[in-house]
Amino acid sequence: MNKSATMGTLLEMRGVTRTFQVSQGLFSKSRTLQAVDGVDLDVKRGEVLGIVGESGCGKSTLAKMLLGLLPPSSGTIRLEGQDVSGLPRKELARRVQPVFQDPYSSLNPRRTLSSIVSLPLEVQGVRSDERRERSIAMLDKVGLPRRFADNYPSQLSGGQRQRVAIARALVSNPEIVVCDEPTSALDVSVQSQILNLLMELRRELGLTYVFISHNLAVVEHIATRVAVMYLGRMVEQTTTAELFRAPRHPYTEVLLASVLTPEPGLGVPDAGMSAIAPDPLNPPPGCRFHPRCPKAFSPCTTQDPRLVADGEAAVACHLYTQPHTAAA
Amino acid sequence: MVDVASAPKAPPNAALETAAETAAAPLPTGAGATTPPSTLRRMFRHRGLTIGAFLVGTIIFVALFAPLIVPHDPYAQDLTRRLIPPVWYEKGSWAHIFGTDNLGRDYFSRTLYGAQIALLIGFSVMIVSGFIGSALGLIAGYFGGKVDMVVTFFITTRLAMPVVLVALAVVAMIGSSLFVVIAVLGLLKWDRFAVVMRSATMQVRSQEYVSAAQAAGASTWRIVIGEILPNVMPHLIVVATVEAGSAILLEAALSFLGLGVQPPLPSWGLMISEAKNFMFFSFWLIAIPGTALALLVLGVNLLGDGLRDVFAPGGRS
Amino acid sequence: MSQSVLEVEDLSVTIATPSGPLQAVRNISFDIKRGESVCLVGESGCGKSMTSLAIMGLLPPAAKRSARRLAFAGEDLAGASMKRINQLRGDRMAMIFQEPMTALNPAYTIGDQLIEVHRRHKQQGDRIARERAVYLLEKVGIASAAERLGQYPHQLSGGLRQRVMIAMSLMCEPDLLIADEPTTALDVTIQAQILRLLADLQKEFGVALLLITHDLGVVARVADRVNVMYAGEIVESAAVADLFAKPSHPYTRGLLDCIPIPGKTAPGEELGTIPGTVPSLIGGIQGCAFMSRCPLAQGVCAEGAPLRHTNDTHAYRCIVEAA
Repeated sequence: MNKSATMGTLLEMRGVTRTFQVSQGLFSKSRTLQAVDGVDLDVKRGEVLGIVGESGCGKSTLAKMLLGLLPPSSGTIRLEGQDVSGLPRKELARRVQPVFQDPYSSLNPRRTLSSIVSLPLEVQGVRSDERRERSIAMLDKVGLPRRFADNYPSQLSGGQRQRVAIARALVSNPEIVVCDEPTSALDVSVQSQILNLLMELRRELGLTYVFISHNLAVVEHIATRVAVMYLGRMVEQTTTAELFRAPRHPYTEVLLASVLTPEPGLGVPDAGMSAIAPDPLNPPPGCRFHPRCPKAFSPCTTQDPRLVADGEAAVACHLYTQPHTAAA
Repeated sequence: MVDVASAPKAPPNAALETAAETAAAPLPTGAGATTPPSTLRRMFRHRGLTIGAFLVGTIIFVALFAPLIVPHDPYAQDLTRRLIPPVWYEKGSWAHIFGTDNLGRDYFSRTLYGAQIALLIGFSVMIVSGFIGSALGLIAGYFGGKVDMVVTFFITTRLAMPVVLVALAVVAMIGSSLFVVIAVLGLLKWDRFAVVMRSATMQVRSQEYVSAAQAAGASTWRIVIGEILPNVMPHLIVVATVEAGSAILLEAALSFLGLGVQPPLPSWGLMISEAKNFMFFSFWLIAIPGTALALLVLGVNLLGDGLRDVFAPGGRS
Repeated sequence: MSQSVLEVEDLSVTIATPSGPLQAVRNISFDIKRGESVCLVGESGCGKSMTSLAIMGLLPPAAKRSARRLAFAGEDLAGASMKRINQLRGDRMAMIFQEPMTALNPAYTIGDQLIEVHRRHKQQGDRIARERAVYLLEKVGIASAAERLGQYPHQLSGGLRQRVMIAMSLMCEPDLLIADEPTTALDVTIQAQILRLLADLQKEFGVALLLITHDLGVVARVADRVNVMYAGEIVESAAVADLFAKPSHPYTRGLLDCIPIPGKTAPGEELGTIPGTVPSLIGGIQGCAFMSRCPLAQGVCAEGAPLRHTNDTHAYRCIVEAA
């Protein structure tokens, strides 16, 4: 039986890589940027998979590949067993939809709200009266009643716009919704409304989310499983509870240690990571994290650790595969 | 004293109910982006724009209704009534409000008909060059990469050419007429369209709603026409008005040099040219078409500037 | 000699807009003592950035400032001459802005910009300025400081630029440092490093810090005292431990309910929300600005919210006494 038809796995990424050519000027050869490097990732039906990492880790590029906006340079992406590159564009679009970060840039200012929301249906060839009805119904579902349908985005607040973006993502009944930092540009009080809405809609419509964020507190709250990325690589994957309880990769530890919870008296933590940021065009040899890793030891400078599965979890770190003296 | 601890907790389904409350709350003011109603209002408030629109509108009106308004045939010569000064001079008369030229033709009628030519040239060149330049700009801006490199090469080459000299050379080679002038100017003056549309398209292209449309599976054509074009339209309109003014002036210059429209057509540039021999004694022969030209181009530029201000994000005025 | 580095009493900022005067800041009062770390926290539009600009005299032309008292180390700022303000700015009062990408001039080297501040105020010669620049760059954790002086802003990452900004602000040993969302544009790990750096430098140099942020996590970890702003007003003011232990204003409580805290809020559970939106600040607000969104609102709130005190240092504006 085909492994990817296993109950539960909706999307499967194997060895997905994406490189960009960065020009170095007229007289120099262009250099290669490996935005995403050899990522293996499964998205299970009904889960909320959080992807965390900082700038330059490749999570946004990964999101674009999931949505079919960028083809991988190598590797495969399978949606319910079918290779995504073989699917017609409209088919993929119907099944995987985005919610983007910036509510002020994700809505066409010259279209009415119902026109914005019905665009995916328009592309699928749905008739105009049915489109309007479905888009108005979806707007209502996200909390913008009928009278908003003919308004323009400029009349809405950030939170309301994000609701429109969510309505647009859901109108074609997708299977996966890729949320790329959906609340990062919103005020805290609006963020909680949108998160609640997302959780509610997931329960009601049986959706699967890929939730990309740099905000670990939000990810801990909404995600069922988390994948951590660093400089284009997947360094750790496990359930949310496990990740926050016992992170394994040193980078994950640093990330978690850097989260500033609203608890006074604890001061600002020292995560123990070197401040010198790596050059993505010239990544360190061996393990990409080793120059900044508080636990680096000899294999780290020369060998690139592979993502090794251990039951449900996976981690890419020599600490778990190579013999070493236990860190103090 | 209310016991805070027992304050009612938000009910279940709060997400959707609070959403409804959010929806019912007054919408924030000062959104800044343009929507059809407020754009119109801003247009009326902008002084430059209303003056420009008034000037251009008047001249368009005059041009359209010229045949009905003119008191005389602009081509009818009457050598017995040469060089009559306009009505505000001592020797002028109401029969010839703007006087007559050296061939006895009524200057008022010629000026009004001249408006037709100026506007015809202006609009035609604007449309031809606008079409070429916008198409190039849209393609370069949307596709980027190698396509952009090729288009930019064309734009740079075109910018390296001195327009007036090339126009003169072409016209000198194949002869001049209204059609030739329009064709030559139209095929030369698309560069600003291309440059502006290219950068406007690149700007719009980076907006997330374009990514959303791509993610929805929309075809390139649908995205360019449905998402990009409406949002670069303001830039297009502004450039178009400015280019129209520039085309009008260029045509006048060509006609002045004898390489634009040919006599007896009452192009303002030609009228100025014909009047240069009489400059010192019949000053009005130059002043009147010159003023008309200046007013039209001023009006067009004010209109363009005004539109640009009104369409700018935040609406500076 | 005053104990307070900054005294603000009844500060207001009004901005002229096409739709009428917008009251961005409405009669706020607070003070900052020597070496203290005070946070102004609130969401977008609450007036916190305008406050910092008003204090530094950097308001846009359309904005007008008025205050009963605005004093720096006992010296009046509101009526001071432009010359005096320019003497103070950069020297005794320094500011760090939000966007490290745009706050540095791309046409000049880091060294030029660092030395310029020192040269302007200290007149001690370039050599001393250069030494101090290298010293501060090393203090903020930039390796090869001497070489970095010759680099241009575009050659540095966001985190490094922000460190340069911090170094620049300390060049003349100011008494007050105003930081407007200094880490919002940075990665989480860099943010922690920068904030840690600021806290360390503060202790070492005895600089008072006015930190403006929307992030309550930052507030909890960095502040000594907190002022919560909403719709142009300070609605609650307290020592940091007090604020989180006993949030007394409904807005503060609402904000704290909204935030997911790993280990404290149950994952997947509905988060608290504050329904509604901020009211328009154009043309003035009658009574309590939070009334339209407050779970405890009553009719009398329309007449205003009185100032209450939990203790000497904890004040809030509400008709309802917090239990």
